[in-house]
Amino acid sequence: MKEVIAVVRMNMMNRTKQALTDAGIDGYFAHEVQGRGVGLANPHVLEGAASGYEEAVALLGERGKLYPKRMITVVVPDKDVKAVVKTLIEVNQTGKPGDGKIFVMPVGDAVRVRTAETGEKSII
Amino acid sequence: MIMVRAIVRPEKADDVLAALMDAGFPAVTKFSVAGRGKQRGIKIGEVTYDEIPKTMLLSVVKNADRDFVVETIMTAARSGKKGAFGDGKIFVSPVDEIYTVSSGVCETATGEEA
Repeated sequence: MKEVIAVVRMNMMNRTKQALTDAGIDGYFAHEVQGRGVGLANPHVLEGAASGYEEAVALLGERGKLYPKRMITVVVPDKDVKAVVKTLIEVNQTGKPGDGKIFVMPVGDAVRVRTAETGEKSII
Repeated sequence: MIMVRAIVRPEKADDVLAALMDAGFPAVTKFSVAGRGKQRGIKIGEVTYDEIPKTMLLSVVKNADRDFVVETIMTAARSGKKGAFGDGKIFVSPVDEIYTVSSGVCETATGEEA
């Protein structure tokens, strides 16, 4: 079993939810988070500065600002990891910085509370 | 690659974020959580507070940077010189694969592009 954690743009959430449902992933867990990446420049600010807006020029060189994001956590069997990652990338990719990151982490065990089933049976 | 998850005091979160930025680890995700620790919350008079607000910081770094990042977070999140109950915890867990959505690039556990 693997845990797939995706941090994505918040305006992509509806599309992501639909795509996961279409891909056969019914259970996942979402969280409102704030984050920043390695990108040291904000594309909107750069665009504004290039068009000559003084407010944007004043913001140039600003670092460490946190942007609102959404975090989706899905636990899937090993064989589904590739498909889930592919779905998430296809839906969320715009090609600009800030699209997000996807982390794949190992999971020791999972338990369904209702029936006490463990292992892969509990997540299917 | 490893994921470092740190639960810190909300008022210390900005200090930790600044310390990480200065140390060259800009990429962080932050969210609010509530919890209690070994001290079973805080007891003030008759009332016990066992859902204490905290901030969770999440960062994925290379294996080699692990000790340095943990040390940086720990120093920045500690209250006073000695620290106090409630300063938080840091958890480290392995990450198998990392994908950047904008480019679709995959990095493996060792930090190489695959």
